[in-house]
Amino acid sequence: MTGDPLFIDGVDLVDIGIMAAKVLVAFTFLLVATMFMVWFERKLISDMQNRIGPNVAGPWGLLQTFADGVKFFFKEDLRPENADPLVFRLAPYIAAVTAFLSFAVVPIGGSFGSGSSGTVTIFGRETYLQVADPPIGILLLLAMSSIAVYGVMLAGWASGSKYPLIGSVRASAQAISYEAALGMATVVVVILAGTLSTHGIVAAQAGGITRWFVLSSGVVPFIVFLIAATAELNRPPFDLVEAEQELVGGFHTEYSSIRFALFFLAEFMNVITMSAIMVTLFFGGPAGPILFGMTWFWPTVWFLLKVLAFLFVFVWFRATLPRLRYDQLMHLGWKLLIPLILFWLMFISLKELRAANDWNWIATYGAAFIALAIGTALLLAGLRAGDRAFQDELEEA
Amino acid sequence: MEQYLPVLTLGVLGVLFVLLSIVASRLLAPERATVAKRSAYECGVTEQVAIPERFPVKFYLVAMLFIMFDIEIVFLYPWAVANDELGLFGLVAMTIFAGIFFLSFVYELAKGGLNWGPGRQLITPATSPERTTTSTIRKVGLEGRIEIETAADDSEAA
Repeated sequence: MTGDPLFIDGVDLVDIGIMAAKVLVAFTFLLVATMFMVWFERKLISDMQNRIGPNVAGPWGLLQTFADGVKFFFKEDLRPENADPLVFRLAPYIAAVTAFLSFAVVPIGGSFGSGSSGTVTIFGRETYLQVADPPIGILLLLAMSSIAVYGVMLAGWASGSKYPLIGSVRASAQAISYEAALGMATVVVVILAGTLSTHGIVAAQAGGITRWFVLSSGVVPFIVFLIAATAELNRPPFDLVEAEQELVGGFHTEYSSIRFALFFLAEFMNVITMSAIMVTLFFGGPAGPILFGMTWFWPTVWFLLKVLAFLFVFVWFRATLPRLRYDQLMHLGWKLLIPLILFWLMFISLKELRAANDWNWIATYGAAFIALAIGTALLLAGLRAGDRAFQDELEEA
Repeated sequence: MEQYLPVLTLGVLGVLFVLLSIVASRLLAPERATVAKRSAYECGVTEQVAIPERFPVKFYLVAMLFIMFDIEIVFLYPWAVANDELGLFGLVAMTIFAGIFFLSFVYELAKGGLNWGPGRQLITPATSPERTTTSTIRKVGLEGRIEIETAADDSEAA
């Protein structure tokens, strides 16, 4: 039986209290972290571009995001005449609530390995340092990232304006293209961990860096996941959704005041959640050495440091890489990442089975190599035929 | 089902947060809408044409292909969890399954369904090889220029 031990033997008032405390802490943490992340991004980008960045509101401009947020409350909330009133109001809810929910399954602390199973004791009750640990945690994450696409799609469609419509159609096409790669990269982790629970995945990586899935899955799934996650988050270099030069503001062009702020908040919250998910899936979650005393304290520190490293990477991408063209984006997703990760996941499954059943080394990897050769030949032939067909169509037109 | 209680609580909290923010904004923000403010954004131009309700059919193709892959992923998850128990049988079955999907994917590729890009250059270049800088740029006499420069200098001095 998997799941948070808090709820295993019935639910009473103390359990409800602990749960409410955890939910509140996670909620506050997410909001504060989002505020910090916006400041972090602006400050870091300005450092990379030889500017000073926000420096007026609060020490080092730390309160800049807070000031911006307060300002949004006092701004006029406009809705275009052509907009669909209900859906236009609904879209920010979808975007923000899915952003909150995806963080629920991320384990943010707890010491794993050598006897301990990542539980902490609060008021005499054992529990995990994560909001919830449903047995299908990973599927919940994928479901939330799929529903988040609806927020973007409906926002653009309901605005009754051309730029948001184009932006949202692009955004959904991009999100669903990369979701396939994202899902398959996660399947690799599931093969290695043998469970869908996020707590189980972290527990399976306990015991040193070599057991982290980034290494034991052969780095490729992690790279695919990182690229797909960047595209999923509409972060540069995949921010075609908000390509200012072509689409003004993309799907939220018509949103103003607090509704825009909610989209903005959801976007940055998703960046934090996605970094946390990457740490959970590939970098052992809160794993790290416990230096002195307080065994529950250090894992959370390690977790936050790892997340911070990924937040830095996302900002770094934005400062370094130029935006892709739309066709390049689709080609990268469909013609490279998906075939690559499809092969890799079959290969990892084969590798695991070989290790478990002691199959012949040459026969196993020979079969994998033959499969790779056939697959590559088919793919290249398909690509060439596709280019020809596309060219013929153009010449006819 | 108790495991989903915190998820539900967080969801309710999220909805409340959004609701309260919007209510607060409604109380605090001014409401002075004009016709121009309530019209759709048009890069500063008054809107003239009806909003396009249509978009390229290629997006539907991508959506359909995605549904196909999503179905594949849905079936991949249960297999991935039970990879150790299913052993060779599971692997072979999954390879056949993924292989069939891969073939249909290659078919769509081969039909050019995933080509978005600009094709190869179809129109022959408009310029002919005879048109070079020597034939197109008219040379202006040097004396004239010097005269103009001195004239400009004079006016500046004055």
